[in-house]
Amino acid sequence: MRDVNAENIEFLSSGAIAPVKKWGAKWSLWAVHLVTSCCGVELAHAYASGYDAERWGTLNFGMMRQTNLIIVEGTITKKMARALRITWEQMPDPKFVILIGACGIEGGLFWNSYHITRPWKIVPVDYFVPGCPPTPEGLISAIRALQKKIEKGEARTTVKFRETDLAELLGTEAGKERKPPKPPLKIAEKPEIKVEPKEVEWELGKQLVGKLKERIPYAEVFTTDVNRIYIKTDAKFYKKVAKALECEGFDHVKSINVIDVLHENKFIVECSVSSYSIKEFMPVIVTFAAEIDRCNPRIPSLIDVWLSADYQEREMHDFFGVWFEGNPNMGQKFLIAPEVETPLRKDFKLEEPSYVLEENK
Amino acid sequence: MLSYNALLEMFRQNSVGIPLITRKVVLYHTATKVAYIPPVTSLFAKIPILNLIVALLFWKPFFAVLFAPGLVCMLIALLPIIWFERKVTARVQWRYGPLEISRDIGGLIQPMADGMRYFFQEVITHREAHRPYFLQFPLLTFLPVLLPILVIPVGAIYAINTPYSIPAAIALISLIPMIIVAIGWASNSKYAYVGSLREAFMYFSYEIILIVAAMSMVILYGSANAIEIVREQSVVPGVILNPVAALVFFIAIIMATSRFPFEIPEADPEVVFGPFVEYTGIIFGLVMTIAYEKLYLLCLLFSILFLGGWNGPFIPPLGDLSPVLWLFLKTFALMMIFVFFRTFYGRYRLDQALKIGWSTLMGFAVVSLGISLGLGVINIAGWL
Repeated sequence: MRDVNAENIEFLSSGAIAPVKKWGAKWSLWAVHLVTSCCGVELAHAYASGYDAERWGTLNFGMMRQTNLIIVEGTITKKMARALRITWEQMPDPKFVILIGACGIEGGLFWNSYHITRPWKIVPVDYFVPGCPPTPEGLISAIRALQKKIEKGEARTTVKFRETDLAELLGTEAGKERKPPKPPLKIAEKPEIKVEPKEVEWELGKQLVGKLKERIPYAEVFTTDVNRIYIKTDAKFYKKVAKALECEGFDHVKSINVIDVLHENKFIVECSVSSYSIKEFMPVIVTFAAEIDRCNPRIPSLIDVWLSADYQEREMHDFFGVWFEGNPNMGQKFLIAPEVETPLRKDFKLEEPSYVLEENK
Repeated sequence: MLSYNALLEMFRQNSVGIPLITRKVVLYHTATKVAYIPPVTSLFAKIPILNLIVALLFWKPFFAVLFAPGLVCMLIALLPIIWFERKVTARVQWRYGPLEISRDIGGLIQPMADGMRYFFQEVITHREAHRPYFLQFPLLTFLPVLLPILVIPVGAIYAINTPYSIPAAIALISLIPMIIVAIGWASNSKYAYVGSLREAFMYFSYEIILIVAAMSMVILYGSANAIEIVREQSVVPGVILNPVAALVFFIAIIMATSRFPFEIPEADPEVVFGPFVEYTGIIFGLVMTIAYEKLYLLCLLFSILFLGGWNGPFIPPLGDLSPVLWLFLKTFALMMIFVFFRTFYGRYRLDQALKIGWSTLMGFAVVSLGISLGLGVINIAGWL
């Protein structure tokens, strides 16, 4: 069984008309350039009036379908890796890659960054141009070298990696291992939500706290600052506290929050209310909070006390999955995509992008 | 059905006369001896099949389409004009441009290298393309590109001598945007779609003023036959008789061939390459030259209508090719002017181009029509 395609390709690369093909490719290296970092300036310099790389027939071209050379300029992040691979794959066949800058070779300045890929793992690179950034002469010499490579029809690299003893080169002590710096540890083992009473000189506040203590003896009421009152309560008294506040004259909900306390396996639902109708209460914000179980997060809705709670409760239902009993809109999402489940919970797993190809490893 | 000899005779009756190769060239002449170089065509005169082929090649209709002003002349114009475009852009930017490929002639063969590279590159047909149309339309562009050649004469070389040659040529050239829109549609890609829409809009904005400007010249000369028109211009060229029409036709050519500042359908920073975004390899080579081929055709028309066509000193050794030389030189000079605009113009937006086409240039076109009518009235009344 003859493979006609393979024979044709073989004929093109080494047959009678191969010199014409090589000559065409050699003098017509049109570069699509991926300006990902500062090396792009050097490329611009190389093609501008100072050095004029167009003398050798190369031309900067914005498109990939009509070109045959990629000049990768510098850092390739994980996001950009996808663009690089797509660009390379969309190119028609005799295609070449030149990689300029230290970032492309071993990461350069960003050698220990979490988000850096090595471009030579993503596309096959013909020539590396080291430097931070490399000079225009360096880029032009890479293009010349590529032309020679095309002419001879062989694969070789100008830059050869060889192992050197860094200690000898830098004059540092031998045997001392160089490690990347560790990130500063600022993660608390068990973060605590602390809300503590604070004595302030605020006449209205003292009266209000007194009144509220009479109305709701089962809850803890205290001031935290001027114009701020905090009420610690329970899920079963949650609605009663709300009704008591409504009787006091607080007529709307400012916000409803959910705090995810993962290590204690609980949610704290906070509701802040204020008033538009009573002038003295306008700057006052009263917050009342209830702790609920994280496995079965259910709490009565405040929709029949304040209608403005509706929107906030639906939002918290979207983000945390807390079920506000009595709200007719529970169970339908309106802020986020329907397939996303509780994105603001602390144990929510982010989808990690991975564009680096396995085949090149 | 013609016999072989009758066919041969028909070709020879209407063949192109180039003294340099069809007649004996006498070297010296004494009383007893005549030394001459035999004509090249006589070498094959007696060989059965070859003489027919040679006669066919020099048969005027065939010669017009294949050599001058047809395919060969077009290629001879295209390769240097692409080189010139890059070179003059480089010069304006204080660079050299393509050079090292052939230092002695300033990199003149650079477009050939690009063409060879395109020729041997892989041809990608993407999955979304309407495959048959995607591959056929680039080849079909040769129809609207070569058909106008049939009705554009050069001196004595013509395929069809018709009294309607100018309208027919313009009508056939108008088919090219249709092919470009079809190419964009067959590509079935976002940018190709946007590009072909832009091409369609530009078509509306330039086509009417192009036709009005050409028709005003036809009214002025009193004939639509290109041979008549060139004869009318033997003393005063059309550009002096009706400069407004020349200006309108000039700008319409810039719009029609998407040169700067009207390079809107193919604007590469905006819609990457417009209708041609998906093409690779040799097919891209074909579609990329459409605009240059159209430029060549419209420059031929401009030379014939406004610059006195093939009028020029007759060069005896060239014979019938002498008008070809003059027309080609005028056309090439015009093309050089058109591609030079790339170096110093920005790009208009589509709405600006449409506005220019439908308001200012339309007004100028009507004025040029008025000038032609006025000159015609003066001519008939004999006031000059």
